[in-house]
Amino acid sequence: MGRTDTAMDDLLNDFLAETAEILAEAGGAIVAWEADPADRAQLDAIFRFVHTIKGSSGFLALPRVTALSHAAEDALDQVRRGNRVANAALVTGVLGIVDRLNELCAALGRDGTEPAGDDRDVIGALAERAGEENASLEIAGVPLRREDDLGADLQGWRSIRVPLPLLDSVMTGVTDIVLARNEFARMLRESGADLSLIASFDRLSDSIAGMRQSVSQMRMQRIDKLFAPLPRVVRDLAQDMGKKIAFQTSGGEVELDREMMENIRDPLIHIVRNAIDHGVEPLEDRVAAGKEITATISVSARQSGNQIEIEIRDDGRGLSPDALVAKAVAARLVTAAEARALGPKEKLELIFRPGFSTAAKVTAISGRGVGMDIVKANVEKIGGVVELRNDEGRGLAILLRVPMTLTIISGLMVRAAGQYFAVPRGAVREILLEGADTVRIDRVGGGELATVRGKQYPLLRLEAVLGRERHQDDDVDDRALVIVRPGQGQSYALSVSAIHDQEELVIKPAAPMIMATGLYAGTTLPDNGRPVLLLDVQGLLAAAAIDANEAGRSQGQAAEAEAETVAARNAAQLLLFRDTNARIRGVRLSVIERVEEVPVSSLFESAGRIQVRVGEDIFPVHAAALPGGEGTLKLLRLYDGQAVLCYPIAEVIDIVRLPDAVQPSAAPGLIAGVVLVGGEPVELLDPFWLMEQYAAVAAPAQRQPICRLADDRDGWGDNFLAPILRGAGYRVIADGDPSDEAPDVLLCLTGDGEACSHIGGGVPVIRLRAAIAATGPEDESVYRYDRQALLDAMRRSVGGEAA
Amino acid sequence: MMENLYLVARIADTRVALRSRAIHSVVTVGTPVEVPGAPPHVAGLFALRSRVFTLIDPHVVIGLSDVPVAPGQRVIVVEVAEHGYALIADEIEDVCFIEAPETRIAGKLLPGWARVADAMIEYRGASLLVVDPSNFIMLPASGSGPIKCAVEV
Repeated sequence: MGRTDTAMDDLLNDFLAETAEILAEAGGAIVAWEADPADRAQLDAIFRFVHTIKGSSGFLALPRVTALSHAAEDALDQVRRGNRVANAALVTGVLGIVDRLNELCAALGRDGTEPAGDDRDVIGALAERAGEENASLEIAGVPLRREDDLGADLQGWRSIRVPLPLLDSVMTGVTDIVLARNEFARMLRESGADLSLIASFDRLSDSIAGMRQSVSQMRMQRIDKLFAPLPRVVRDLAQDMGKKIAFQTSGGEVELDREMMENIRDPLIHIVRNAIDHGVEPLEDRVAAGKEITATISVSARQSGNQIEIEIRDDGRGLSPDALVAKAVAARLVTAAEARALGPKEKLELIFRPGFSTAAKVTAISGRGVGMDIVKANVEKIGGVVELRNDEGRGLAILLRVPMTLTIISGLMVRAAGQYFAVPRGAVREILLEGADTVRIDRVGGGELATVRGKQYPLLRLEAVLGRERHQDDDVDDRALVIVRPGQGQSYALSVSAIHDQEELVIKPAAPMIMATGLYAGTTLPDNGRPVLLLDVQGLLAAAAIDANEAGRSQGQAAEAEAETVAARNAAQLLLFRDTNARIRGVRLSVIERVEEVPVSSLFESAGRIQVRVGEDIFPVHAAALPGGEGTLKLLRLYDGQAVLCYPIAEVIDIVRLPDAVQPSAAPGLIAGVVLVGGEPVELLDPFWLMEQYAAVAAPAQRQPICRLADDRDGWGDNFLAPILRGAGYRVIADGDPSDEAPDVLLCLTGDGEACSHIGGGVPVIRLRAAIAATGPEDESVYRYDRQALLDAMRRSVGGEAA
Repeated sequence: MMENLYLVARIADTRVALRSRAIHSVVTVGTPVEVPGAPPHVAGLFALRSRVFTLIDPHVVIGLSDVPVAPGQRVIVVEVAEHGYALIADEIEDVCFIEAPETRIAGKLLPGWARVADAMIEYRGASLLVVDPSNFIMLPASGSGPIKCAVEV
């Protein structure tokens, strides 16, 4: 090719670097826009993204890139003008273009030329607009932060690449200038220089401060650059797998060294993929487990002491230590004997073994050889650690901790034992004076406890932890308390003699023998030129041997929060499902005990009813005929507190809030009425009617014995006897009732000495007599006003069931 | 040639010839910043231009009691494993090339010196111990008390 001159190569490299960044951000922005198509600012931002790519590619003569970006720009412009509606198809089309652009850029970076090829497929897909009205209903809601940044000026995308060592040397140089300035300022003050000299020095000083600020930022990047591609990953994967996932990020403002960032990009994406693929259960399993149908995956970053913590949390099924062991043994990673010797933590850590994959079968999404072992290796390469926080059945949190050396953090300067120390500002919750009204300090068995507004914290005195005496100059009465949260779920109060101020600090590692004390996270050099040690807020805890766990400290609040969650969960909710005839129906979630998946073969027909065997139990199934075929069947288990009824379904769709307006059915039946869900009519099952139909079968033990009155000529039985019998738990069929239901006992009210007209069919008969005295020893009749004798006789006849 | 270059100084009350390879410079320091909890031979921290250096007291390494650091104290700045350190020197004599070969240590040394000294050398009619400055830093301090200095490199 003709343009081999370096200027052109530089242009191309700039274009590639710029485009790669734009595409990564655009993917996230598009997904956010899909979640809220009315968001005009988001649409404009995306439009500008593709417009920028089109402009630059035209200049570089890259016809395919130009054509692709033009197509996307054109489609988005039509939306902007209101000629086209934003829908899932359009978004998928635009994402298709983004993917193709990524491929082209990768090829460009490799070969230096645009590969030949045909893009009509993706451009055509975008141009289609008829007949694809929002077919997909499974769109994950993915809120993306930082709209302001996305809407930023296009000039913001211009960037150059600079070697890291050069940046480092610039940074050292500027720090030296700052120290020299401070020295010079001191000398100026001491020499009593005149005001004009001091004024011009101050101007110089200000510009040095500004320069230091910019240089400090050069190596650093906001971590949300790392988060930008994640919404897209989540959206695509969730759609592929038919899962509903709400994705959240937080702490995007935390800054991290660029080099570190590169090293955790792939591990982060891998962990998120894993969470969607293996962690989040299928919809039915989530319903069965009583969880929200929409899973939550959150990625959060925070600065914790001398480290940056990135937590990837899902509310899926978590890890099962036993399953992990079984898998590891099956994969011959450990022997059965070794496995038995493993502790709970070691069992979980089996996932870090090379060759381990947690999915029962390797899926196309995450089971392709890149495992947690690679993730761990990558993180450890930069001095970080990977931690697992497993809550089996309720979710998994994976914590990446990476060191913060060479980072700039905001530090709080505190004083103790006559010298200054820095505390990472990110770990500080609150600063108080020990003498404040809101603070109470108790000595408890040799330890100290600070109670701040009802919350308790273990108290650490910094001098004591460091093994120093209080300095004679320190104020004894007015010490300060710093409430520190070194990590999730931990907090303590650090007592220091004074709080100084807050500064932006460049943290560098201290000498190995100082780091080995575990008390310090590094050193820093504030503007006064005196080194300051950065405290390791986690290490202090270890040194003081204090349990700073918050769990169990504030019982009341936890219980309250729990109650709130439960209350929210119990709000009337509707489970939407597709029944076996592909109709969408709904049923109140509260009557569903769980969703059962059973083999079709466990259904059987008995006494004209379809039943299912689940474990040791047999339940009735609401079905007209046995389902044919093989495989499994999903059953909703309805439970009324006593009996279970199974209702076969094809699949669970969603859980929504039960609409208030129900259009009731004309007659009682399977369908109680119709509600509108998202504009679509949904038939609402009537669990009352359903349970009623199967009540006899579903609850045989609760069945009431039937008592039939015979020869009740004067209505005495119906008027006097029946209420007593009903009260005793019998169903009474009055004389003359045409029902031919077989009674369990027959009460003959025939006059004394007459034969009972209804005898027969093996039904026990109890004769009642009007006379108080029996006619003889053979007379088994019961005096009709002897309540106890009558009920005893009834019980004997029926078999002691009702009482 | 650099192999023959030595810094002759009095360190921990003893005249020694320090191999100059790791030596950066000789400077004076003000009052260092203490490091509570650090091993006893760490005398503190000080800044030189924009770098933070760890001050090492060779007296403690040898097994003597520590010396107070007064402003104007001369220290020998060395670089070991990408970290900057400084050794407190009682007196700096000279930097010079010594043509004589390093010889095996003859005679019995105090245990502290035996651990840091590598060899002996003849210099202007006296026998000096040859010490690599990094030995003062890498070796744990002797003396009483628990040795907390687990050196990681």
